Amino acid sequence: MRPVTCEECGTGVLVEKRSLPHTSVQWTGPTDRCPQLAGGGARIEGCTRLRASIEREVREGRLTVAHDD
Amino acid sequence: MSAPSTTEHQVRTIEAGSPPERFARGWHCLGLAESFKDGAPHEIEAFGTKLVVFQAQDTGRLHVLDAYCPHMGGNLARGTVKGDTVVCPFHGWLWKGDGRCAGIPYAHRVPPRARTRAWTTLEENKQLFVWYDPEGAPPPEGVTIPRIEGAFSDEWSDWTWHSLRIDGSHCREIVDNVVDMAHFFYVHNSFPTYFKNVFEGHIATQYQATAPRGDMTAAETVSAQGDTRSVASYHGPSYMVVYLDMDVDGTTVETAMINCHYPVSADSFVLMYGALVKKLPGMTDEMAAESAAMAAQGLAAGFEQDIEIWKNKTRIDNPLLCDQDGPVYQLRRWYEQFYVDVADVRPEMTDRFEFEIDTERAVKVWQAEVDANLARRARAARGEA
Ligand code: FES
Ligand SMILES: [Fe+2]
Repeated sequence: MRPVTCEECGTGVLVEKRSLPHTSVQWTGPTDRCPQLAGGGARIEGCTRLRASIEREVREGRLTVAHDD
Repeated sequence: MSAPSTTEHQVRTIEAGSPPERFARGWHCLGLAESFKDGAPHEIEAFGTKLVVFQAQDTGRLHVLDAYCPHMGGNLARGTVKGDTVVCPFHGWLWKGDGRCAGIPYAHRVPPRARTRAWTTLEENKQLFVWYDPEGAPPPEGVTIPRIEGAFSDEWSDWTWHSLRIDGSHCREIVDNVVDMAHFFYVHNSFPTYFKNVFEGHIATQYQATAPRGDMTAAETVSAQGDTRSVASYHGPSYMVVYLDMDVDGTTVETAMINCHYPVSADSFVLMYGALVKKLPGMTDEMAAESAAMAAQGLAAGFEQDIEIWKNKTRIDNPLLCDQDGPVYQLRRWYEQFYVDVADVRPEMTDRFEFEIDTERAVKVWQAEVDANLARRARAARGEA
């Protein structure tokens, strides 16, 4: 897994992409800095800002997609 | 030809492991509250022992005590309810909901230490819950059962409710389903097109969308007729709330379902499920009840399919996964928090984790299978081979 920092709230998470549609995100601390997730827990599907940050990492080549063929 | 090297051709060996001896810490649903409010004590075999559930006549509250009377071991569930006590059938000792002995009819006084275990209970969603913690601590702040609005609304049906006992399997088998996308196609004749899991704290959620299975009838799968979207969350180790929307004939049918269980022993558990359906405009109570019964039937069929698998499978601690499987190991890491002492819960068991499966290939392959089934059926209908 590779570290990715959220452009919005600055939280660092670990991300793995086995293919473009796949995403795995491991948080290593609380979500309380994220305006979309704080307090919502697993009942919120994800943070759109963090997702955008991950997509940007992929686009700009800093996050490699494992089986990109 | 040279002999195959052992490293290149090493065979994967299943580690079956053994189920944990202890039971999961958390709230466990015992059934619909109403079913315990008939004036009689009820026996529940759970957590390696027996419990008695009874309703105090004065307060109307439900109480759960150890079933075995600490006097000489009589079974309180075979006794009677008197006022706010349950009376032991063996020697007539009276026990209150808080575990205190309220009286011994033939004795001058009650021994000061006459106290039995009273379990912490909760009534929510018209269901009864007990708190289980082998360390004896009360439920922590925030670890609770979420309210389901439909359970209290006239716009929704009443609960359907079913329960069945599974012997020979640990309840981890059913929890594994949370991440198991592919089994929904192969076991439940469903067609997942979107699948994501999120675990955080004591909650584990599955977000799923399914496409209709044109090659299946409504009797074969819940998702035969229309697209579905669902959010299913385990709140703790055993109580899953499923919100499922299904598109049928241009309208959306909203259902709320419960999939829950409590352990009986290390390798048996009682599985319970129920459904609520939101009434569509113009729907009578009878129609809503019928609709909920149909949803429950779908659930029942699904569990039958799971049970058939469980009865014939082995326990496996080291599943061999492919990239398009869900996060089984991370789910089990989350699940482990309920089986260790609170002091041993590690951050990685509760830190947020998200996993979205790449369904591209699955959708392509499964659509081809559905199409082939339909083509075969059409040929058969035309009388071709
Ligand atoms: S994690 Fe930064 S906005 Fe959500
Ligand atoms: Fe299943």
